[in-house]
Amino acid sequence: MPDGPAFEFLAALIASSVIAAALLGLVAVSGIWGKRKITAAFTDRIAVNRHGPFGLLIIVADAVRLLSKELIVPEGVDRPAWDIAPIVMAGSALLGFAVIPMGNGLHIADPEVGLAYVFAVASIASVGLVMAGYSSNNKYSLLGGLRAVAQNLAYEIPLILTAASVVIFAGTLRMSGIVEAQATTLFSVAGIGIPSWYAFVNPFAFVLFMAANLAEVGRNPFDIPEAPTEIVGGWQTEYSSVYFVLCYLSEFIHIFLGGAIIATIFLGGPAGPVLPGVVWFVIKMGAVYLFTQWARSAVPRVRIDQLIEIGWKGMLVLSIANLVLTAVIVGITV
Amino acid sequence: MSLEDPTKPESEAVVGETEDGLDYDALEALLGDLAIGRETHLNAEAFVVRPDEVDAALTTLRDEAGFDHCSCVTAQEYDDRYESIYHLRKYADPTQEVGVVVPTSRDNPVSQSGNNAYRTADWHEREAYDLVGIEYEDHPDLKRILLPDTWQGHPLRSDYDQEQPQVVALREHANPLQEDHRGGEDSDTMFLNIGPHHPATHGVLHLKTVLDGETVADVESDIGYLHRCEEQICQQGTYRHQIMPYPDRWDYISAGILNEWAYARTAEDLADLEVPEYAQVIRTMSAEMCRIASHMLAVATFALDVYGDFTAIFMYAMQDREDMQNLLEDLTGQRLMFNYLRLGGVAWDLPEPREEFFEKTRDLLDDLPERLEEYHNLITSNEIFQMRCVDTGVLEPDVAKSYGATGPVARGSGIDYDLRRDDPYGYYDELDWDVVTEEGCDNYARVLVRLQEVEESAKIISQCVDLLEDWPEEERTIQSNVPRTLKPEPDKEVYRSVEAAKGELGIYIRSDGTDTPGRFKIRSPCFSNLQTLPEMSQGEYIPDLIASLGSLDIVLGEVDR
Repeated sequence: MPDGPAFEFLAALIASSVIAAALLGLVAVSGIWGKRKITAAFTDRIAVNRHGPFGLLIIVADAVRLLSKELIVPEGVDRPAWDIAPIVMAGSALLGFAVIPMGNGLHIADPEVGLAYVFAVASIASVGLVMAGYSSNNKYSLLGGLRAVAQNLAYEIPLILTAASVVIFAGTLRMSGIVEAQATTLFSVAGIGIPSWYAFVNPFAFVLFMAANLAEVGRNPFDIPEAPTEIVGGWQTEYSSVYFVLCYLSEFIHIFLGGAIIATIFLGGPAGPVLPGVVWFVIKMGAVYLFTQWARSAVPRVRIDQLIEIGWKGMLVLSIANLVLTAVIVGITV
Repeated sequence: MSLEDPTKPESEAVVGETEDGLDYDALEALLGDLAIGRETHLNAEAFVVRPDEVDAALTTLRDEAGFDHCSCVTAQEYDDRYESIYHLRKYADPTQEVGVVVPTSRDNPVSQSGNNAYRTADWHEREAYDLVGIEYEDHPDLKRILLPDTWQGHPLRSDYDQEQPQVVALREHANPLQEDHRGGEDSDTMFLNIGPHHPATHGVLHLKTVLDGETVADVESDIGYLHRCEEQICQQGTYRHQIMPYPDRWDYISAGILNEWAYARTAEDLADLEVPEYAQVIRTMSAEMCRIASHMLAVATFALDVYGDFTAIFMYAMQDREDMQNLLEDLTGQRLMFNYLRLGGVAWDLPEPREEFFEKTRDLLDDLPERLEEYHNLITSNEIFQMRCVDTGVLEPDVAKSYGATGPVARGSGIDYDLRRDDPYGYYDELDWDVVTEEGCDNYARVLVRLQEVEESAKIISQCVDLLEDWPEEERTIQSNVPRTLKPEPDKEVYRSVEAAKGELGIYIRSDGTDTPGRFKIRSPCFSNLQTLPEMSQGEYIPDLIASLGSLDIVLGEVDR
């Protein structure tokens, strides 16, 4: 077998391409077809059913439609920033998947600081949001960009503090280490072993993380950076055609990245009976995605000041309490 | 009465109020020299007032005689004068009405503004200026309201040249980005155009908003995008048949029959037509079906504004509205533009087989409580929804009255005012139902009112169905004898209103001896309700502004006419 840096680089490139392609496929299915079907199920409708089996060919139709539209560049946009912003947003979310163990050996890199890395790259998206909002030369975009920053600031900290409580349990930031730490059996009920997934070990942290994650990915009740009925489309108002696709894509990849993080640090990663690990992993990610869609169909949107209040006065306090409590418990028991 | 204005001296009786209605002589004595003449309209007496004493006359009538509701301002042209009529009534008893007629000369049509006494006069007078060309002194901002600022001439004047080209240059909005900061260089505020193309303006409405951060510092509505000259169209149509299709197009969101009834009631009073009782029951039933459909849409779009997406609630409410529309389609043959009422009755009897129609209706009404329970579970008991709606968009009762707010908007502010009960028409006074009021004065209260009104409407429909089912076959007269051509005597004037889905929908007609009205004026409830928006949203956040706008439940077709 050949060896050397060139080979390693090539191997990494192929692996990344495979995972990125798989992800984009997943987004295409769930974002274009799944979203329609799920929302329809929640709202007593049928949705697409005329394009191929189960309306699946809508994916092709939508792709053609979106990509063949005219790219309208409004007058007075700040050109390089306006062009880069969608790429930054989509790219940052994709980068996060590099360290996620997806089971069956699908794991591109496993650095020691895996979890910190995921949060670091995921929050680059905020930069993209500000760029988009500020460079669009549109007041709605500006309002949306500002809202996005305020929201991400308010929820990133509780998110990371809650994740830190998991790190205290696992004793490592390495993603594979966190997954391994959840492999043991917590307790057995009638012969069926309940694994020590951190969602079972510390359900409080799990709920907190799920809520903060909704804000992080900008879904109801925290979809205020876009808030179509208030500020039209927020930061993405002026994007059309391919750039719109990138914005849309980045949102869905972010939801899946959120799902992947939750699956990894709370739901035992790819662990699960009978089915191969990667299938379990996709199922867990899909469950989180379903949850966001459910919230979108049923929960009202909070106001920006209420959101900030919930973030700084509620979630932050709770997450710190959770962190301290976890540290005390781990300190006593271990 | 708890709703009476607390500033009013309670001990003395209100001038002009007697056991059996209004004593117009007492009112004339009260006005004294202010009244220089007296006219008799079909609905009420009217006092003629000099153009420079309008404010004094209106203030006197408001403070001393208790006329706290300026329902409408009608402007019209005569051969020798221009005239504004202020139609005043009382929130406590809308059957007590009085008109204030202000004639102005042809060469100098200038009159004092009534804006001081009733804030609702602001928009009504702007409309009068726009369409008829009467100028109002001391008006805070007298400019065109329905037509573009650049419009030449006043279309409801007889000397208006319809052929002249109207070059409408959009001077002010040549580049909306140009004027980012209105209010001086050192100001921190941002000017934002919300609409005319915006997801939450429910049609084509333009809100000129000044923002201080996310807070609304000032908001001004710019209306008229959907102006279709409805009044003029109606002035050119014959009473008997040509006018009736148009009311469907004012509040076009499934409230058609309610609108038709406004015209039917006014024209029937004008021409002194009887309506058979059987037809009245059918009218009452179909009107309440329209009200349910309309309220369902109001709740749906309000949820859309607060939830921010086409959520479950939106689709559920659309489904319930759809069910109502199917019934109306069975009855009238149409889904939106019903054209079902006729002067003196309705177009045709219930669809055969009648039993099937009754059964369908009953099934729907039986399911309704369960559906409403779901709305309460999904919306009103949702804590985030309450967080968003309780104590936002507050409209105090006295402010609401001053702006002439009616319908669910007024009832959400605790004003116990419903023309179906207070100024009975149709078959309402024979039926058992209640007027719903809520004391909250906020967005939440208005949603509660609409949801409860759906229940009350269902009660009314169910009683009507029972009545219709037992109606003897030989007495099912759907229409009285109406002359082929209606030509009311000249110079009869009447102002009548009904409780439409959005509030008090009034029609003023002056006959001129022909088979078409001399003046046809529409008092739109949405027009008056929309005026309250700045009061509700100044100092609140943009999301609250959007929610308040949604809770007003405006239909631009009715605002702009």
